[in-house]
Amino acid sequence: MTQGVVIFAFNNERIDYLAMAAWSARNIRRHLDLPTCVITDVTDTARTADFDQVVLTDPQQIQQHRYFYDYKASAVWHNTNRSSVHDLTPWDHTLVLDADFVVASDQLKLLFDIDQDFIAHRMAYDVTGFTAFQDNNWFGTYKMPMSWATVMCFRRSKKAQLIFDTMQMIRDNWLHYRQLYNVSENTFRNDFALSIAMNVVDGHTLSTPAIPWDLASITANTKLTQLDPDTYKVEYVTGDDKPKWIVLKQQDFHAMGKQALGAIVANPC
Amino acid sequence: MDTNELISHSRARFDHHQARTVLKEKYQAKLTFAHAGGMWRAGPELLVLLATVPPGDAVVLDLYETPIRVNPEELRGLAMTRWQEQMNAWLVEYEESNRNR
Repeated sequence: MTQGVVIFAFNNERIDYLAMAAWSARNIRRHLDLPTCVITDVTDTARTADFDQVVLTDPQQIQQHRYFYDYKASAVWHNTNRSSVHDLTPWDHTLVLDADFVVASDQLKLLFDIDQDFIAHRMAYDVTGFTAFQDNNWFGTYKMPMSWATVMCFRRSKKAQLIFDTMQMIRDNWLHYRQLYNVSENTFRNDFALSIAMNVVDGHTLSTPAIPWDLASITANTKLTQLDPDTYKVEYVTGDDKPKWIVLKQQDFHAMGKQALGAIVANPC
Repeated sequence: MDTNELISHSRARFDHHQARTVLKEKYQAKLTFAHAGGMWRAGPELLVLLATVPPGDAVVLDLYETPIRVNPEELRGLAMTRWQEQMNAWLVEYEESNRNR
């Protein structure tokens, strides 16, 4: 069974997702020793040289805007074709990572040993402890449990195909599902679609299998710097206005602040 | 770096409480391992359970509540090794972080 990592990278006017993905591919090779594939619309081969495979595709017909807190501005957000990964992946067993997910350890290797057709994170946490993440781990008026599309591992299978087909159905009828689950956010998110799809495919039992650890997240209102290739410093201000910092050493995390990650990618240690 | 940033930088303190919380999360993940088609978390609960199971084959529920047929001695050996390795690494990082100010 072939294995590999897929990263989606569609740049917008502010964020160079392809540069993040290329930097991530180098981290993946170092820690996971797995081939990488980028799904992108960038045709410049020099920019995709870090990947073992390149799948060229359109970002998708639906364009939406998202406000990026760290840039204090809106930008086009190409995120609606994640559900096509089952058809686009070159591998039988695929790990899908967001371009802003930082691989700093070999922890994700374990996902390939889990005997499940599809698996994702159920819970995320803020490493600074500043936000409780209630609004991120549940969504909508009825507090639907979130499944995070940041890290997804799936085998080419009937179940995975069903989940991705259902995600596409939800994306194509987002207004209906948004009203059904009473989601206040306008913007379509893959996390919403994945959460609803996994629950539908599992017969609305809210018992979908999850990755057996939580997703470490660094929000956009922190200062993130790299101390060495796998050590990161996170600086933040607490609720009582005290500046604090912690260090993440050989720990994977989701960098929600694209500006800070972009600066690291531009000048890595 | 301007003056305000320098002052803010010098005032910043290492967040010991949060560092401990994050370390716990990190090592909870690292205590997870695969064996015999199941997923396990090395720790007192699994080690004690395996110590009480008679020698030979046994069926134990893994992290996904899936019954898995295992050799208890073999699984206990793996769990003990994983647990000791990760607890030692946890202690080293814990002591390292205690030195931060």
